[in-house]
Amino acid sequence: MENAWLIPLFPLLSFLILLLIGKRLKEASAYVGILFTLASLVFSILVLFERFSEPTFLKKFDWLTIGDLHLTAGFEVNQLNALMLFIVSLVSFLVHTYSKGYMHGDERMPVFYAYLGLFTFAMLGLVISPNLLQTYIFWELVGVGSFLLIGFYFYKEEAKAAAKKAFIMTRIGDVGLLIGMILLFWQTKSFEYSEIFQAVEAGAVSNTMLTLTAILIFIGAVGKSGQFPLHTWLPDAMEGPTPVSALIHAATMVAAGVYLVAALFPLFTASPTALLTVATVGAVTAIFAASIGLVQTDIKRVLAYSTVSQLGYMMLALGSAGYVAGVFHLMTHAFFKALLFLAAGSVIHAVHTQNIEEMGGLWKKLKLTGPLFLIGTLAISGVPGLSGFFSKDEILVAAWEGGHPVLFLFALIAAFMTAFYMFRLFFMVFTGESRGQQKNVHESPSVMTMPMVVLGVLAVIAGYVNTPWFGSFLGDWLVDGNEALGHGHIEGPIWIMIAATVVSLAGIYLAWLIYGKRSIARDWLSGQGGMLYTVLYNKYYIDEFYQLTVIAFTKGFSYFLRFIDTFIVEGIVKGVSGIVQGLGAMGSKMQTGRAQTYGTVAFVSLAVLAVIFALTGGYLR
Amino acid sequence: MNLSWVLTTLVFSPLAGIAVLALLPKTQEKLIKLIGFLATLPPLALGLAAYLHFLDGKKLSDFAVSTEWIQFRGMNVNEPIYSVYYELGLSGFQLLLVVLTAVVATLAAIAARSVKKEWKGFFMLFLLLEIGMLGVFTAENLILFFLFFEITLIPTFFLIGKWGYFEKEKAAYSFLIYNGLGSAVLLIVIMILFAKTGTTNIDLLAHIMTDETAPLSGALKLGLLISLLVAFGVKLPIFPLHSWMLRVHVQAPPAVVMIHSGILLKIGAYGLIRFGMGIFPEQFETLAVAIAILGVINLLYGAFLAFIQTDFKMVLAYSSISHMGIVLIGLAAMNEAGIQGAIFQVISHGLISALLFFLVGVLYERTDTSLIDNLGGLAKGMPITAGFLLAAAMASLGLPGMSGFVSEFMAFLGLFRELPWIAAVGTIGIIMTAAYLLRAVLGMTYGKAHREFVGVADLRGVEFVPVVVLMLLIVLIGVYPSVLSSPLQATLETLMLGLGG
Repeated sequence: MENAWLIPLFPLLSFLILLLIGKRLKEASAYVGILFTLASLVFSILVLFERFSEPTFLKKFDWLTIGDLHLTAGFEVNQLNALMLFIVSLVSFLVHTYSKGYMHGDERMPVFYAYLGLFTFAMLGLVISPNLLQTYIFWELVGVGSFLLIGFYFYKEEAKAAAKKAFIMTRIGDVGLLIGMILLFWQTKSFEYSEIFQAVEAGAVSNTMLTLTAILIFIGAVGKSGQFPLHTWLPDAMEGPTPVSALIHAATMVAAGVYLVAALFPLFTASPTALLTVATVGAVTAIFAASIGLVQTDIKRVLAYSTVSQLGYMMLALGSAGYVAGVFHLMTHAFFKALLFLAAGSVIHAVHTQNIEEMGGLWKKLKLTGPLFLIGTLAISGVPGLSGFFSKDEILVAAWEGGHPVLFLFALIAAFMTAFYMFRLFFMVFTGESRGQQKNVHESPSVMTMPMVVLGVLAVIAGYVNTPWFGSFLGDWLVDGNEALGHGHIEGPIWIMIAATVVSLAGIYLAWLIYGKRSIARDWLSGQGGMLYTVLYNKYYIDEFYQLTVIAFTKGFSYFLRFIDTFIVEGIVKGVSGIVQGLGAMGSKMQTGRAQTYGTVAFVSLAVLAVIFALTGGYLR
Repeated sequence: MNLSWVLTTLVFSPLAGIAVLALLPKTQEKLIKLIGFLATLPPLALGLAAYLHFLDGKKLSDFAVSTEWIQFRGMNVNEPIYSVYYELGLSGFQLLLVVLTAVVATLAAIAARSVKKEWKGFFMLFLLLEIGMLGVFTAENLILFFLFFEITLIPTFFLIGKWGYFEKEKAAYSFLIYNGLGSAVLLIVIMILFAKTGTTNIDLLAHIMTDETAPLSGALKLGLLISLLVAFGVKLPIFPLHSWMLRVHVQAPPAVVMIHSGILLKIGAYGLIRFGMGIFPEQFETLAVAIAILGVINLLYGAFLAFIQTDFKMVLAYSSISHMGIVLIGLAAMNEAGIQGAIFQVISHGLISALLFFLVGVLYERTDTSLIDNLGGLAKGMPITAGFLLAAAMASLGLPGMSGFVSEFMAFLGLFRELPWIAAVGTIGIIMTAAYLLRAVLGMTYGKAHREFVGVADLRGVEFVPVVVLMLLIVLIGVYPSVLSSPLQATLETLMLGLGG
C-alpha cells in the first residue's frame, strides 16, 4: 500500500506522453493509454487485497507553508479509498479498451486518450486524498477532464455549449465546497479528515457551524453529482463521446459527490439538519429525474436522467445514515450503468443515431449487445438476483430505518419509474420492427464487446459481496474500526424486499404492455395528461427558468455596469483631463510676451519669499 | 565575498544594450532585435543567481548596497540636514519581483520580434523601461524608488504612443495623465515623510512609525496612507481609477502589454504592500474593511464587465482589474494567509497575463483581429495555440495545479477568517471568472469556424519559448508553491511584526 501513490501517476504519464508525441503515434496511442491504466488496475487490485488484511495506510508531507500553518499533501488507503481505487481503475481500463474500437478512425484519437489519461489521473488522485484541500484540488481537475471530454467534438456548437455549461454549473457547486472547507478549516485548524473528525467529535465546532459547513460542502456534491437543482449540465454532457459518458458521467466523476459525502460522513452525522438536507435532496432528485426519463427519446439522455436519479438514491441512502447502502449502490451502479452506456455506445455505433424512435428490432442483429443491455436493464430495475436488487433494497431499508416514510415512498415510486423507463428503452431499441433506414447493422468488434462482457458479469454478481454467502459482508469491512459510520449490515423487514420486487416487476410489466405487447397505446400517457407530458418532455423547463433568471440577471447586471463604466467613470476621466487641459490653457495665456508683466511677477514673488524667510527664520520644518 | 556590486549591475546592465544599439544603424532589423533580446539576459542571469544564492541558505542582505549620494547642507557644512543615499537591497518579496521582471522582460523581447518599424528606438526604450522596473523593485528608499518609478513612465508613454494600434496616441496620453497624477500624489507623500522624519529609507521609516514620539499625528498618517492608496490605486488599478489601463491594454503592442500587465501593474501592489502596509500598519488596519470592499468591487466589477466584451483584449483588460481585486482582498485580511495570497497573486498574475497577451499577439499577427466573433473555431486551424490559450485561461480562472489557484485560495482563506461575509460575496467572482473566460476562449477556439484558417501557421519556432517557459512556471508554482513561499517567509514575518501579530 505504500506504493499506492503510483496508481494515479500511471495515467498522468500516459497523458504527458500522448500530449508530447501522440501525434506521431496516431492510433497506437490507444495502446499507451490502455497499458498505463492496466498498470493502475493491477496496483489497485493489489492494494485492495492488501487492505483486506492490513490497517489504513497514511502518508503526508508539507505542501504549502503559510506562516505557522503547514498545509500537507499525501495519500491515504482506507476501505472506502481502496474500493474506489478499484472501481475507478477498472472502469477506466475497460473504457480505454472499448474506446479503441469506438473511436477507430478518428484522427484526434491521441488527444482523446490524452484527455482520458488526465481524467483518470485526477479521479484516482481524488479518491486517495487524505485531506479536504487535496480533495478539492483533484475535484477541480476532474471537472476539467470532464469539460475537455464533453467538448471533444469542439467544432459542434452543442458540444461547446455543453462543455461550458458543465464547467460553470459544477463550479457553482465547487464554490460552496470551497467556502465550507475554508470555514471548517478556521473552526478546526486543519484540512485533514482525521483531525476534522476529532475536532467534531470533541465538540470544538458549534452546531450552527457544523450544519452550515456540512451543507456548503454538500452543495459541492450537488454540483458534481448532478443533483437537483444543479443537475441540468449532466444530460447535456451526453454531447461527449459515449465511452466518456460511461466513464465520467455514469461510473466515476458524478459519483464523486457521493464519495465526498461518504468520506466526510462523520461530519454529516454530527448535524441532523445537514443529514436531512442530503436525504431530501437525494429523494427529490431521484423521483424528479426518473420522471423526466419516462418520456425522453434520446437513448443517452434517458440513461443520463437515470444516472441523476440513481445518484439521488445514493444521496438518500447517505442522508438516511445508510453509509454502507450508499457506498454499496455506488459500486453496483458503477458497473451496471457503465455497462448500459457502453452497450448504448455499441448500439449507436451500429445504427448511427441516438433517437430511439428510429431504432427497434435490434435484438436479432446485435447478438451480444442485446443480452448485455438486458442484463444492465434488469440490474438497474432491481430484479432479484442481480446486483442492483441488493443495493437498492439496502437503500430502501436505510430510508425506512432512517425514519422518513415520505422519502421512503419517494424512493419506492422512483424504483417503479426506473423499471418502467428502462424497459421502455429496452423494448423500443431491441424489439419490434426496425423503424429506421439502417443498413449493414452489425455487432461491434470484440475490443468493444469484451469490456461489456466483464461489466455484465460484474453487474450480475457484484451484489453478492454484501451477502452472507461470501462469509462476510462488504458492509462490515467498510465500517470496520470506525463507529461513526454506523452499522455494517442491518436486517430490514422482509416486506421491504417484497415491495421493492413487486414495484420493479410492475414497472417492467407496464412497459411491456405499452412497448412490448402494445396492448396499451403508446400515446396513452401523452394523451391522458397532455400538460404533464409536455412538462416532462421539456424537463420541467428548468433550463428555460435559469435562462430567464440567473443568466438574464447576469447579463443585465453586466450591461448596467457597462453603463456606469462608460458614463460615470469615463465622466471622471473627462473631468480630470479637462482640468489638466484647463490649467494648460491658463498657463499658455500667461505667456503674453510682455516683459513688464514678467518683471512684476518676478519681483512680487521674490518679495513674498523674503517675507516668508524672515518670518520662519530659514527652513520650513 | 563582497556581493554589493550585484544589484547595481543587475539594474543597470540593460544600459550596455542601449549603448550598443545606439551605435547600430537603424536598418539592421535582425541584429537590433538580437541585441535587444541579449541585453535582457544579464539581469535574468543575475536574478536567478540571487535566487540560487537564497536557496543555498545564504542571506539576501549580502546584496545590500548603500553609499552617500545627495546631500542638502545648511549653514553648517559638515552636518548635512537631509541626505539621500543610493541604496539598493533585496528581500524575498523583492527578489521574486526582480526575477519575475527579468523573465517577463526577456520573453517580451522575444514577443517584440513582431514590431514592424523603428526597431532601434523601440528596443532602446524597452531596455530603459526594464532598468526602471528593476530599480523600482530594488530601491531601498523612497526618493530612489520615485526616480525609477518615473523612469518607467516615460518609455512606456512612447512605446504605447508610437508602436501601438489605431488609437495609440489617446491611450498614451491617458496613461501619462493618470500615472502622472498618481506620481504627483506619491511625490507629495514622499516629501512630507522626508520633511517630517529626515529620512526616506523604507525600513527606517517603518521603524520610526512605531515610535510613539514621532512627529506624525495619527490623522496625518491616515491621510498619507489614503494618498498612497490613491497613488498606487491608479497603478493597480483600483476602481474607479482604471479606465486608462483598458485603453493601454487594447492599444499597446503585445510586447509592451506583456510588460505592462505583467509587471507595471504590480508596482501598484508592491507599493501598497511595502509602503502602505509596511510603513503604516496601524492605519492599514483601520482601512481594512474599506480595502476588502474595494477588492470585492474590483473583483466583481471586472468580472461582470469582462463577461460582455466583444474584444478579447478587453476581456483580458477587465480580467486584470478583477484579478487585482484578489490582491486587495488578500491584503485586507491582514493575516499571513491573506498577505501571502496577495503576493502570490502578484507573481501569478504577472506570469499568466504575460502568457495570455503573448498568445493574443500571436493571434493578432496572423488574423489581424482579436474580436471573439471573428475567431470562432480556431482549434481546427491552430490546435496548439488554441490548446495553450485554453490552458492559460484555466490558469487564470484558478484551476488547481496552476499558480492562480494557490493565490486565490490563500487570499480567500485569509479573508474568510476576518471578514467572512465580504469574502462570501467575493466568491461570486470565482464563478464569474470561469463564466467570462470560457465564454471568450471557447468563443474563439471552439464551435464552427467563421473563417478559413487554411494557411494560417500554428505556433512555431521561437514562439514556443515564451509560451512553454511561462506555462512551466505557472504549473511549477501551482504544484510546488514552496518556490515562492520559502523566500517570502522573512518578508511575511516582518510584515506581521508590523501588524502586531
